[in-house]
Amino acid sequence: MPTPLALLNLIHDRKKFLTSLAGVSFAVLLMFLFTGFQNALYDSQTQLLEQFNGDIVIINRLKENMFVPRSFARRRLYQAQAFDGVEAAYAVYTSDARWKNPETKATRPVRVIAYNPADPVLPMAEVLAYQRQLTLPNTALIDRRARAELGPREAGVVTELADRQIQIIGTFALGTDFAAGNGNLIMSDQNFLRYFADRGPEEDERSFATADIGVLKLAPGTDVDRLVQTLRQHLPQDVLVLPKDGPEGFIRRERTYWEENTNIGFVFSLLTAMGFVVGIILVYQILYTDVADHWSEYATLKAMGYGNGFLFGVVIQEAMILSVLGFIPGFLISALFYNLAAGVTGLLFVMTLGRIVNLYIATFMMCLISGTIAVRKVQRTDPAEVFGL
Amino acid sequence: MSAVPVQPVSPGAASPGAASPGAEISVQVQTLDYFFGQGDLRKQVLFNINLELHRGQIVIMTGPSGSGKTTLLTLIGALRSATTGSLRVLGQELVGLGNRQLVEVRRNIGFIFQAHNLFESLTAAQNVEMAVELTGNLRQKRQRATAILENVGLGDRVDYKPAALSGGQKQRVAIARALVNQPQLILADEPTAALDKQSGRDVVTLMQQLAQEQGCTILMVTHDNRILDVADRIINLVDGRLESDTNPQQFVEAHTVKSLDHNMFVM
Repeated sequence: MPTPLALLNLIHDRKKFLTSLAGVSFAVLLMFLFTGFQNALYDSQTQLLEQFNGDIVIINRLKENMFVPRSFARRRLYQAQAFDGVEAAYAVYTSDARWKNPETKATRPVRVIAYNPADPVLPMAEVLAYQRQLTLPNTALIDRRARAELGPREAGVVTELADRQIQIIGTFALGTDFAAGNGNLIMSDQNFLRYFADRGPEEDERSFATADIGVLKLAPGTDVDRLVQTLRQHLPQDVLVLPKDGPEGFIRRERTYWEENTNIGFVFSLLTAMGFVVGIILVYQILYTDVADHWSEYATLKAMGYGNGFLFGVVIQEAMILSVLGFIPGFLISALFYNLAAGVTGLLFVMTLGRIVNLYIATFMMCLISGTIAVRKVQRTDPAEVFGL
Repeated sequence: MSAVPVQPVSPGAASPGAASPGAEISVQVQTLDYFFGQGDLRKQVLFNINLELHRGQIVIMTGPSGSGKTTLLTLIGALRSATTGSLRVLGQELVGLGNRQLVEVRRNIGFIFQAHNLFESLTAAQNVEMAVELTGNLRQKRQRATAILENVGLGDRVDYKPAALSGGQKQRVAIARALVNQPQLILADEPTAALDKQSGRDVVTLMQQLAQEQGCTILMVTHDNRILDVADRIINLVDGRLESDTNPQQFVEAHTVKSLDHNMFVM
């Protein structure tokens, strides 16, 4: 085995080596945090949609994103139910309402999600457990991951929602998004009517004649895309029929809306790019110092008959070692920060394998670019100059 | 310009340069000029150098600073490319060779510098092994490095890093590194300049001994008068021209205080 010159040069000075690793880890941390926030903002927009228990979604054609309060005629769901393969059609009602924090008495907007508790629309174990209790009047479940501004998020809280008394009988875990305001409540469709059927002249009147989101549960083995085509052909044009998943699906559409209509992507991509550049500069400094410190030794190697390729290899190996050893602590600290940030914001911070791999590739590129810049110094080394130094 | 027929004795070389008939020629320099810089700044540093080094000789090159000694050494060492005249090193014409071919030539030459230039991060053995690896002989590199380190008297320091070695010991590791591949030509630039008298003496004695064992030619640039006696031949370079080519006795006689004249104080 050839002498591992790159590794030995790097770790020779322990203190300097640890500082170098800390530098790389910091750049990795910056990139993880910024991409983390970006993904969290996008992922959070769709976390409710992911939970819907069905394969096809029907919405008002004008409901461009979850913010738009457009509902559609509920009879479309009955019409849809007539088609082969549709096992059930659930109506979901949503509305924004003011919630009074029982402690500070300040009101905050929340989103109410309502459906017939007999239907497993949101098949989360905690929600299903409250199926019966939700049928009691003026009751709701609150999201434990709603923002702290709402006050205590626990069973037993009694406060006001849309100026009516409400009793919290249980909790679930979902998380917030832009359309949810400070958090989500789940209640029965009957209770939804109690709160929103008549909120006064300035608010929309709600009834069972219209629904906000229709979720179609299909029989196993049904061809989703074909059924979507059939429904589109046969249902009136006031509704939009979308598969829930897939590139043309409801979830993807919501995510695309936020990606293309907000500056989130630009801002966080810029910040990530800055983390990347900071990393390049840091790693370049480290490698350049190594080359400068060992200049006459490298020149001696060249005099002995080592070519530029070998020296290039040494510097690039150093870059690779830094990228691997710097990435690991950077990743671990980032994972910790993700947990903290998720706890504070209620946003969804997910560390998927794909994202880890992507960021490792970015770190690798970062070190490779720095290495390539630093190596030019070694390649210019003129071995003749070592004589007479 | 290239392939000048090999002459048994070059005209410039007097008695000490002329080795016994049939001795191999390691280095043959003929009508070599060398310039630094380009255009108006072009400056000639070597003028019509003619020189032959025979196998097994130890040749010391002296001369005031700026006389072109190091330039000549780096040309012979294939570290710079010559463009005029003829420069044959170990049977290979260097004039007109490309960079890649020069690197190949350098693998057959051992270099020793004023500074030891050892990697602080590598042990003595690993530093020497870096040279063995050039030959592609990875399996025996450890044995060969240990063997040569024993030869230079560092058998008990094989796994020490340079920081734990004295100046003389470090220079001996550097010599071991230069010699481990048994090169036929060794080029040394002030190898004793950074050493005290005793270490310097040890280092040159070692070089002399190894040169005899391996039959290699040594060309050494030095100002160190204490080591002139190891030379078979001393060449003196002044202002880019070969001024004299003598043996040590003649050289010492020519440079004793008796022969001082006012010219020596004109700098």
